Amino acid sequence: MSLPEGKKMNKQRSKAYQVRIDKALATPRLQQALHQFGDAYLIAREKAFAGLDFEALRQEIGAMKDDVRLNHEKYLQQFIANAQAAGATVYQAATAEDANRYIADLAKQQGVKLSVKSKSMASEETHLNKALEAAGITPLETDLGEWILQLSGQRPSHMVMPAIHMFKEEVAELFSRETGRTEVADIPHLVEVARQQLRQGYLDADMGISGANIAIAETGGIALVTNEGNARLTTTLPKTHVALVGIDKLVPTLEDAAKVIRVLPKNATGQALTSYVTWIRGAIPGGDGEKDLHIVLLDNGRSRLAEDEKCCDTSRCIRCGACANVCPVYQSVGGHVFGHIYIGAVGIILTAFFHGLDNAAELVKACIGCRSCVAVCPANIDLEGIILSLRETIADKEGLGVGKSLVFRKVMRNRKLFHSLLRAASKLQKPVTRGQRSIRHLPHFFSSLTEWRTLPAIADRPLRDIWPGQNLQAPQKKVALFGGCANDFLYPELGSDLVEVMNHLNVVVDYPQKQNCCGVPALYSGDKETAVELAKQNIDALLEGNPDAVLTTCPTCTMALQRDFVEHFKDDSPWRAKAEKLASITVDAAGYIVNQLGAADQFADLPLAQKVTYHDSCHLKRGAGVWREPRQLIETSGHQLVEMDHADRCCGFGGSYSLTSHPDIARKILEDKLQDIEKSGADCVAMDCPGCMMQMRGGLEKQESRVRVTHTIELLAAGLRAK
Amino acid sequence: MESMTQFRVAAEAAGAVLVECQHLVEAVTFIAERAAGDLLLPGSVSCHRVRLAEQLRGAGLNMLPVTRDQAAEAAAGVTSACFAIADTGTLVLESTAEDVRLATTLPTRHFVLLDRRKIVADGLAAVEPLRRMHQQNPRNYIAYITGPSRTADIERVLTIGVHGPKELYILLLDDWSEDLLEM
Ligand code: SF4
Ligand code: SF4
Repeated sequence: MSLPEGKKMNKQRSKAYQVRIDKALATPRLQQALHQFGDAYLIAREKAFAGLDFEALRQEIGAMKDDVRLNHEKYLQQFIANAQAAGATVYQAATAEDANRYIADLAKQQGVKLSVKSKSMASEETHLNKALEAAGITPLETDLGEWILQLSGQRPSHMVMPAIHMFKEEVAELFSRETGRTEVADIPHLVEVARQQLRQGYLDADMGISGANIAIAETGGIALVTNEGNARLTTTLPKTHVALVGIDKLVPTLEDAAKVIRVLPKNATGQALTSYVTWIRGAIPGGDGEKDLHIVLLDNGRSRLAEDEKCCDTSRCIRCGACANVCPVYQSVGGHVFGHIYIGAVGIILTAFFHGLDNAAELVKACIGCRSCVAVCPANIDLEGIILSLRETIADKEGLGVGKSLVFRKVMRNRKLFHSLLRAASKLQKPVTRGQRSIRHLPHFFSSLTEWRTLPAIADRPLRDIWPGQNLQAPQKKVALFGGCANDFLYPELGSDLVEVMNHLNVVVDYPQKQNCCGVPALYSGDKETAVELAKQNIDALLEGNPDAVLTTCPTCTMALQRDFVEHFKDDSPWRAKAEKLASITVDAAGYIVNQLGAADQFADLPLAQKVTYHDSCHLKRGAGVWREPRQLIETSGHQLVEMDHADRCCGFGGSYSLTSHPDIARKILEDKLQDIEKSGADCVAMDCPGCMMQMRGGLEKQESRVRVTHTIELLAAGLRAK
Repeated sequence: MESMTQFRVAAEAAGAVLVECQHLVEAVTFIAERAAGDLLLPGSVSCHRVRLAEQLRGAGLNMLPVTRDQAAEAAAGVTSACFAIADTGTLVLESTAEDVRLATTLPTRHFVLLDRRKIVADGLAAVEPLRRMHQQNPRNYIAYITGPSRTADIERVLTIGVHGPKELYILLLDDWSEDLLEM
């Protein structure tokens, strides 16, 4: 079959990206460094925010930045007028080329030979150095990390720590080449070499180029938040200062600037404050007269981003880099792979707007959707939600691929067909499963799927066929279970266990037969149409019996019912009301028991106590905000709860992410998780997600671990049965 | 926590050295002991008032003219601070005049004289005097300084003194200046 030209190119792009992933995964030293940093970062960050209410702070920053976005023209004009009144020349650059041209022309006019630069991501974005070189001007990076990268011809792999991927031996080699001596790989020595080497640069340069962390409308001034002191030298010694500033750096007042500064270093590196915060307003004295200050305000896609209905919240970003620090994909493959110029979660979105959708297409798919970035973002941006919407945009543009679109459109939307195919598959798999519940090896073509984890077999009889009859005299509540595909077809016993647990609380559970897949696989692949169709089927099926609550055992389904369905119908009023109704009664099983029934103590001191560690599923903790509840149930029922390290780090499942799109990254993330589980010394790891169960049980079985995997509900049911 | 204590804890955590002085002469002696070379003393109202230059000279120190050519040769810069911020251990220096910037960026050591009364609680409390500084001086360069210059750009190992001063000494005084805007 011949593919159209565009499709062929996309395939090549995907292949090339896979090569880069493979290469990064084969560099354990990089992963180790990023993991170590990730751990140290979390500790330092917690300390830096001690006594402060992060949630309140980020709401405040989000609201302030929204005000700037909605009144952008007003603040921009205010900034420009104030900057000009203080003697600055302001240039508004629509594009990267425009900004580069202005700066290069200015340098040529002024006869600049050497220009010193302090760190500026905006100048990386525009490839300013290349433009200067082409105009015969030598740019000299003075930030240590940036200088290292300049010497090695690389680009930053982190927005705050640009050379985080490099090791001291490599730096020593670069510096030795530069000095012509042998520089030893001793960090204090290397830092001293940089100090000596760059010193003369500041004195010789005729132009200093900086970025800005903040632009303040009230004053027309900028603020630079730095540690090394190079920005102070860059903005002091050369007679001309050019500040390249993204227009999204605007804030209204000095108070607002102070609020950003209060959060930025704490969230970036866990530092209370950087060594230097530099406020510069206008043309200040320098040499015999006054300095020549040019502020280049860069748009380059920022206005489009601010106007984009789905992605506009990204304009709140203060570029702290934290969304990368905590990202399991970033920690596995680094910023050169999980980023373009900007990296990590926000990098994906910025790339789409600043450097084109094509450059973002692979990055969008490489996100596993764990929402760690969302939890840590000081600007309160739902990064994962926005990345998801970009995935839709890209799928709309590039198409889904024949196989996927067939499955989603023709099969999943037709519940009867979908379910009869699953039943048939349960028969067909017999030669592979040999009647076992896990598949340990798959024949030739699919063998890579079971190389590092077993896969669950499709159950002989799905949950819908074995739904237990219940004999409760006067049930206190009537609830419906939304099983989701995994509970229904892979782990039907989990559904029976839920019934047992609920009946113990005198709650009767119904299983509406017309429910279908929650639509997440289609949605995450970018097929929104199928997702919407499935949402309609489920809304009708679940509301039909008018239940007091709809329970879920899978947090990804919970998020679909609570968040995605409402989002699908936000402009469709009859459906919207139904979706909102469903969202309001949907709750995960553990949360229902603890928060709504207040019934945790009904499970006090069950037999079969063991040492249990708990894994927080991404969508349960960071989607539904549930993490205390299952722990409470585990402890109340008599188990000894031992916390593993990184309990809330993703396990690497991600649905089709681990099965088809990025199994190698998923495997790496799982390895980390399994290590933490083993280290905890627990007999059993509990969780509240069938997807996570599949991933971790698969991994633990493959390495023949003695640690068992269980759903919290199964743990409770087992205890009840043994009573 | 009392703001002086909070300031001390935060500034020391950032790597600054705090020196308690009863009288100015103790500060002068301390500078003389640690300067290890020529000084830069940029113009400043408070320093001028107490004739700091004479006192430093009296203690045997040599001062270089604060020009681009000579500043790079000096071992230490001596300035006062307008005020300080308690929760982060930060000094605020009105640095619009070029000599202040040269004296605080190029030399290896930086000595800062601070009146104990001039400490505000946090970054938000600092905005009021910061705004007044903007009004007083419509074109300005205001520096928040917290500890010595640092980097963690190689293997994330914290290393002190990359481009700016490697040592930051804060000399605490009484009766030096009460005005938050005065350097
Ligand atoms: S959702 Fe998870 S995988 Fe995706 S960018 Fe955020 S932290 Fe990374
Ligand atoms: S998106 Fe949020 S976490 Fe990421 S860099 Fe921007 S502000 Fe920081």
